[in-house]
Amino acid sequence: MRRFFARNAPAYVFLLPWLIGFFLLALGPILASLYLSFTRYDMVNVPEWVGLDNYVYMFTRDRRFWKALDVTFTYVALAVPARLIMALGVAMLLDKGLRTIGLYRAIFYLPSLLGASIAIAILWRQLFAADGVVNQIMATFGIQGASWITNPNTSLYILAMWQFGSPMLIFLAGLRGIPRDLYEAAEIDGTPRWRQFTRITLPLLAPVIFFNLVLQTIDAFKTFSSAFIISNGTGAPADSLLFYTVYLFNEAFKFFRMGYASALAWVLLIIIAVFTAVAFFTSKYWVHYENERD
Amino acid sequence: MTKLTRRSMLGAMGAAAAASAFSAIPAWAADRSIRHFWWGNPERDKRTFAVIDVFQKANPAIEVSGETIGWGDYWTKMATQTAGRNMADLVQMDYRFLFEYVRRGALLPLDEHIGKSLMIADFDQGPLEGGKVDGKLYALNIGSNSQVMVHNTRVFQEAGIDADLINWTWDDFAKACETITAKTNGAVKGSDDLSLMIETFESWVRQNGREFYDADGKVTATVDDVASYWQFWADLREKGAVRDADKTVILDPPIAESGIAVGDTAMSHYWSNQLVGIQAVAKDKIGAAMVPHKAGGKPGQFIKPSMFMSLSRDAKDTDAAMAYMNAWVNDPETTAILGLERGIPCSPKVRAALAPNLTEVEKMSVDYFEAIQSRVGPLPLPAPKGAGEVRDAFMRVGTDVVLGNAQAADAATAFIEEAQSIVERAQ
Repeated sequence: MRRFFARNAPAYVFLLPWLIGFFLLALGPILASLYLSFTRYDMVNVPEWVGLDNYVYMFTRDRRFWKALDVTFTYVALAVPARLIMALGVAMLLDKGLRTIGLYRAIFYLPSLLGASIAIAILWRQLFAADGVVNQIMATFGIQGASWITNPNTSLYILAMWQFGSPMLIFLAGLRGIPRDLYEAAEIDGTPRWRQFTRITLPLLAPVIFFNLVLQTIDAFKTFSSAFIISNGTGAPADSLLFYTVYLFNEAFKFFRMGYASALAWVLLIIIAVFTAVAFFTSKYWVHYENERD
Repeated sequence: MTKLTRRSMLGAMGAAAAASAFSAIPAWAADRSIRHFWWGNPERDKRTFAVIDVFQKANPAIEVSGETIGWGDYWTKMATQTAGRNMADLVQMDYRFLFEYVRRGALLPLDEHIGKSLMIADFDQGPLEGGKVDGKLYALNIGSNSQVMVHNTRVFQEAGIDADLINWTWDDFAKACETITAKTNGAVKGSDDLSLMIETFESWVRQNGREFYDADGKVTATVDDVASYWQFWADLREKGAVRDADKTVILDPPIAESGIAVGDTAMSHYWSNQLVGIQAVAKDKIGAAMVPHKAGGKPGQFIKPSMFMSLSRDAKDTDAAMAYMNAWVNDPETTAILGLERGIPCSPKVRAALAPNLTEVEKMSVDYFEAIQSRVGPLPLPAPKGAGEVRDAFMRVGTDVVLGNAQAADAATAFIEEAQSIVERAQ
């Protein structure tokens, strides 16, 4: 026991700020929300115990719940691969050994820092409004622009792809870790570039891809601010932007169904946990670590 | 690196809760202090803070702090403060939320103060009625308003529209829309497309001889009411006589982005106390028309208290709070600053004092108010719980009709079913 602490003390010291935050600020609300998910609670009157009613209603009668799942799953299925491909592509370009690479890294990372912010989403809305910049530019080429706001999914996907910064940085670090001599050997054997990519880069990058996949999937499930801003907080038009978190927010803070919203939050947690578990379970078939013996 | 889901979200929520707990402690403590909380806009906030200054000068012993926020966030903050037993002493109240807050025990009745610290004996009694729940006065009317079809007078004149704008019908309205669109070659559409405006639809239902909700809070509007309403606008849309669909589906746009302000439509639906604010952002002179009538139908429009002031259950110094409330509706200097921005005051004395100094648009709104008196119906009962959600559903289902993804009749059936289940679930 003493040896355990002696060995791990530095780690716990570094974890301390997070641990304090977790126990003081997060744990209480988490447990409270679990309790509230079995109640009917409007924030004014005392919570009233209703057992499983919230969950039953959600799965049997709430059409908007299914709509929100539909919107969110579609988004996850399309936006995550799009963003990862974009991130890997840019990382490979930057891996060519440019002299100003630090600058480029910063430039490409910037949108990710700002991407979740409200300012960007508002800017995005301006760009894609019916008479916004995008349509004006298209008009100068004689193209009749689509109405992006009435079909705002398009703009959300572009926004999602554009925020490739953090997976890109991780990919870049992964690419840097691949021994150069493997490529040199392949060059000498006359292996075409594409085969070098599929036979060397992808397999050796698999742990990093896996890591990015898990984090980006979690991220995509909890997409909130961009959808909230672009749809004015309602999921409009006609619920096409009704992301799960937007629906949850509306139930909680617009209609004051805190109990129901808590139940929604727990269902989302379980969905994310299941997806992550599936990723981990399947990973042993496609992710190989360099120090593994097999 | 990417933040993790629940941790950061709950952390932020915890921090917010902690921050709001601290804000309950006043930064400085006067001998007596009251808090006033209202939803506002820049103009309203300016006037209200000026009023606070005036009161502060006259009553140096009382410290008044004002808190303001937009309509959308106001009710969220209000619910949070109510839950935390931390309501402001005086809160601005709306007709549709009044019953809900009274039933939750969040407001105190004002009856015991009337004639002692609250002098309202000479006020119009009709408009005061709206603030009563179960015979007790819980909310003091601080202005009345009514629906209004705001229109661009220049465009109306140039298109030669000569309809009687107080007594006109939906047919007259449709013709005016077509004429305006034709005369301007489509540069100015006749009207905003009001398909998603449930406030206009409520008038439509009342013209058909029903209320939207009955006394028990059940939905009494019919599928036919909804279908005919959405079809009316679909026909105008087909003729190109109303604003484009992709602008219509942007919900609750700020006044500055409305068709009247931008200048691409000649008419839209608002509340009469907003006339001042709209004129401030519109290029042309605006005018006020009634919501069109149904030929041979019942009156649809009504006069309602636009805003109330209420005393909250958490008020500590009731005497100070009542002194402030009384000044709001009686003090000449205060009422002069407030003007008509929150609606038409119920005190004849205050109205008479304001009359000589009205601006052109204020005068227009007073004249409009006089003109509609005989053409409006009774105030509908307060909407039941869930009415806000029904409003959302109306806009959401209506969007499918506006975008051409659904037929008016099918969507109407879907909407009525959904409205009924929302109201049922909210009880």
